[in-house]
Amino acid sequence: MITIHNLHKTIDKQKILDGINLSIEDNECIGLLGPNGAGKTTLIKCLMGILSYESGDITFHSQPIEVYKKQIGYLSQYTDFKPWMTCQESLFFFGKLSGIKKDILKNRISETLKEVGLQDKQDVQVEQLSGGMKQRLGIAQAILHEPRFLILDEPVASLDPIGRNEIRKLIGRLKQRMTILLSTHILHDTQDICDRYVIMKNGRIIKHLFQKDQTINSKQLRIKFRDAVHVDQIREFFPSVIVEKLSAATFLITGTQAFDLKKVLTVCSLKHIDLISIGFHEIGLEDAFLELAADL
Amino acid sequence: MNHLATLVRVELTEAAKEYKYVWLTVFFVLLGLTQPLINLYMDIILQQLGGSIGVILDPNKLDPTPSEIFLSTISGQFDQIGLIILLISFMGLIATDRQNGMQDFILTRPVSIHCYVYAKLIAHWFISMFSIGFGILTSYICTVYLFGSFSITKLILFSVLYSIWILYLTSLVIVISVYVKHQVLIAVSAIGISFFLLLIKNVDLAFSDLLPSSILNVAEHQLVATYDVSYLSIVSCLVLIFFNLLWASKNLKN
Repeated sequence: MITIHNLHKTIDKQKILDGINLSIEDNECIGLLGPNGAGKTTLIKCLMGILSYESGDITFHSQPIEVYKKQIGYLSQYTDFKPWMTCQESLFFFGKLSGIKKDILKNRISETLKEVGLQDKQDVQVEQLSGGMKQRLGIAQAILHEPRFLILDEPVASLDPIGRNEIRKLIGRLKQRMTILLSTHILHDTQDICDRYVIMKNGRIIKHLFQKDQTINSKQLRIKFRDAVHVDQIREFFPSVIVEKLSAATFLITGTQAFDLKKVLTVCSLKHIDLISIGFHEIGLEDAFLELAADL
Repeated sequence: MNHLATLVRVELTEAAKEYKYVWLTVFFVLLGLTQPLINLYMDIILQQLGGSIGVILDPNKLDPTPSEIFLSTISGQFDQIGLIILLISFMGLIATDRQNGMQDFILTRPVSIHCYVYAKLIAHWFISMFSIGFGILTSYICTVYLFGSFSITKLILFSVLYSIWILYLTSLVIVISVYVKHQVLIAVSAIGISFFLLLIKNVDLAFSDLLPSSILNVAEHQLVATYDVSYLSIVSCLVLIFFNLLWASKNLKN
């Protein structure tokens, strides 16, 4: 378990982290979300022990970071290896720095390259890799020493949709055996991966959202009738939903289950209620985040 | 120790991939050749410069000794043009790692900041001394061939002391790199400070012996014993290098 208690960090008289409290359970996958400048990268760097902080505590299983450093894997926001090194040489370099013994390092490099799908690129120089491949190599260096805790800082920010999808799948596989902290401002890419979302703004955690929360898993229907309709009639169509009356003939219906539109059309036809339009919208993490960001 | 060796090896390999050993060495070899040749052809040069009658030098002026000619290579070439090029080649020493995320990758491993900083110092000092060494050797051979011999032991002593000055310059760039992010500014700041230190090293100040550049006076004294020098500047220079590294390590984390 990782515990961050009342963490404060100031850079150039500006409060970057303002009393952060966070607990991360073993094998949990957390999405650290927030707009640019929210303090996500600073928090990660403090967590990694590469940036000092004024006050507060960070412990890994009740031990300080220095003791636990071998158990952490990290992918930086800007992944750029030594361009002249091959994939294998890059991992060998990081493996040596991680303290992996030479005799087992070679096998470990092959396994890791296979895991990230770069097994046929081991002798290719880093400068010849695409952005997506470099990012996968970045993840390879982070998991090379089999860490228990993996920190990924904006792993998909610079990638095209195909590259983003590849990394998403890879993270999905890794979360089976590691605790993951995934920082990003591209919210769509973390949906369905994380168990919990921690939303940061101005150096503070403003909200925790869970994967099962209704606020990030809802569906919305906007129905407009020709004439005024009573709210109770709408509830007949959709018994367990939130119905919001926008006007006498327009309603906004929010629920977590799929809407039975066939039933709506049948009932409207039977009761001679004229339907003008039906609009469907799926509320995801992005909507919830934007709402929170606007509120606070 | 293992981490230090790994980091140093990568820095040295990177320098090889960038042909730094080649172009920096060629540059210092050319500098090493320049001054003895200028001295050899000084009369012809002055004749060409002084119009129809040429520049007339004091006929009673003593000819410089071989060691003085060698020293003029160091103070006239290495400590001016050489120093500028050397410091420009150092400017990305930490800034590049910071910009491309390599520094984070390294420091999130069980590698201490001290180890990272020491690796930078050792590697870049070695690269510099490799090139400067060839420059010194070329200048020595050229001077001995054209003007006469002087003690090789003294030359070695001089080179050892000069290498401490280079070690100080490397540590200075490391400290500046902690605070300044732009590479050009790093180079300009380092060049400015170095030239200032070279300028004031011969000024009779109360703290002159404590200046890191005063080690050059001690180095020169090995070849041309003209005035008394304080060996305290060797200790002072080493202590300042140590403090530079300590300061850099401490503040890199902030």
